Amino acid sequence: MAKSWTDSLIKAFYIALKDAKVYYFKAPNFTFGLLIPVSLFLAFSFAGKINPVLIVAGLSSLAMLFGTTSIEAVAVVLERQTGTFDRLLVAPVSLFTIILGKTIAGFFFGLILAGVTIFPLAVFAGVTVMNPVLAIVAIAFASMAFSALGIITSVYAKWVPDAQMYANFLRFPMAFLSGTFVALETYPLQLQVVARFLPLTYSVEALRSCISSSGVTVLYLIDLAALFLFTVVFLFLATLILKKRLA
Amino acid sequence: MSILIRYSVASIWRSLRLLSVLASWFSSSTINVFNTLIRNLPLDVTRRLQVSSKGFEFMADAIEVAGLTKYYNDFLAVDHISFEIKQGEIFGFLGPNGAGKTTTTKMITGQTKPTSGTLTVAGKDVIRQSVEAKKFIGVVPENSNVYDEMSAWDNLIFAAQLYRVPREKRENKAKELLELFGLYERRKDRASVFSKGMKRRLTIAAALIQTPSILFLDEPTSGLDIQSSRLIRNLIKDLNKTGVTIFLTTHYIEEADQLCQRIAIINKGKIIAIDNPEKLKASVEKHQVIEISFDKPSDIERKLRSIESIEKIVQFGDKFRVNVRNTSEAVCLLSDFSKENGLKIVSMNTLSPTLEDVFVELTGLSTDIMKTEKEQGKKAANLG
Repeated sequence: MAKSWTDSLIKAFYIALKDAKVYYFKAPNFTFGLLIPVSLFLAFSFAGKINPVLIVAGLSSLAMLFGTTSIEAVAVVLERQTGTFDRLLVAPVSLFTIILGKTIAGFFFGLILAGVTIFPLAVFAGVTVMNPVLAIVAIAFASMAFSALGIITSVYAKWVPDAQMYANFLRFPMAFLSGTFVALETYPLQLQVVARFLPLTYSVEALRSCISSSGVTVLYLIDLAALFLFTVVFLFLATLILKKRLA
Repeated sequence: MSILIRYSVASIWRSLRLLSVLASWFSSSTINVFNTLIRNLPLDVTRRLQVSSKGFEFMADAIEVAGLTKYYNDFLAVDHISFEIKQGEIFGFLGPNGAGKTTTTKMITGQTKPTSGTLTVAGKDVIRQSVEAKKFIGVVPENSNVYDEMSAWDNLIFAAQLYRVPREKRENKAKELLELFGLYERRKDRASVFSKGMKRRLTIAAALIQTPSILFLDEPTSGLDIQSSRLIRNLIKDLNKTGVTIFLTTHYIEEADQLCQRIAIINKGKIIAIDNPEKLKASVEKHQVIEISFDKPSDIERKLRSIESIEKIVQFGDKFRVNVRNTSEAVCLLSDFSKENGLKIVSMNTLSPTLEDVFVELTGLSTDIMKTEKEQGKKAANLG
């Protein structure tokens, strides 16, 4: 059992490396990941004064969400269109391993994107990240969850434009409903409940927590657990959808 | 009598056990000699018996398919097909477009699940032990599917990594395959700059990187130049000599005839014939054909029709192909005919039915139509 999991993880890592090399680590992808969050930030900051802690946590989370879901949305559907996905299907690799490998590639992409956003932005906004290690851990959990979300749109779509449309359908409402630029507490109760079903909420909350506090808080741990749960659910959901698509 | 039978069975069993013990002391070359001897015995059961360092064991068929069925919603793509492919066999899979070839291949290679039926590859259940079964196979799809953004070298290394081939071994194998396919000098180039033939060769190399025991080839020579096609055909023969089982899907019927030891013809989701090429040809040998040419070809067709035993005449250039009921009788009649009409026979040959005749007879389709459809399908796919 342990051997089989190790084997799966190693193969997933090879798939991730291949995806990173072939598709992800190219300048236009990074630019796109940063473009929309920066535009949103500028729109909000011109509209009125925003809490700098919210800016740093919100913008970093948005950069991860938009960056990972943009590239992950095409990760499977593009390969299916070009026929290269069949290479993975005939190899001794389970569907879950393929999904995991592609998610890991997006995870690293998100990690870098958030890294280049959060720390320069903190300096720019005059905010001190009280516990950078916890911030990196939170970024890692969030990046994995967003990447897995992107994969769902990719396995569901039949064509690349469809995948981007599905991704937009998920991430734009999420960008406004997750307390990204406005504190969640100011939302009406119904929207606060809706926000609890969105992974971006937990990412923003966890990052806010380690910007304002140096210790591990219960809220921070709950946020990480929620992000982990989202990752697991998204991964299994993506595998199930893919299985159905291939049947 | 029963005591005698029991004694004989017990003696054979003891001998096998003794040989099993001895086999564990033998070198691999001695074991290979044993295996060759056993497989050449005129008994079907011995063809599946194998000696290894562990003793005697029964080899599973390379591929076993039973009652395999696939529905796409209400459309029945593959209809309860069953066949076995022995280890080391070159098996041809023929059929017109939409007959169910690709769906069958996709099910056997674990790319899609059957609606019902069972299938095993190298003794592994493809449905339940998909990952295990895939360790034994290499797949060359109809359209080359290497990663365009990766170099030839990286494509092969990535393929090997998915099979967990150790680093040193995968690098040696990649070098060996790139050299074999004449791509070593271009190993650092991205596949996107490769010609169609080079991509095809790279796709085949990627399928061989883990040294598969069963190789699936879908139209391996389609659209290739003569040199590349010959290279691939020779490779198929060479691989087969080393014991690799080949599952070949092709619309080049002559290619299947040259290479395959057995052929299955599928039409409308059902296997309509399965046998070795010569037996298939014999199965349609109802009409014998004589090809004849005369020194003066004028108005001969009309006159030939007067010969009673001739059923059908078709003119090909300066030759006439005549279908006859009885060859020896027809040869005499044609000889008399030439004398009576003051004609000299330039050539006369009896023709055996080709595999193409078998295909046409069984599917009711012209192979030309099949080729045209295939090419049109490919063009449409490329445009799409």
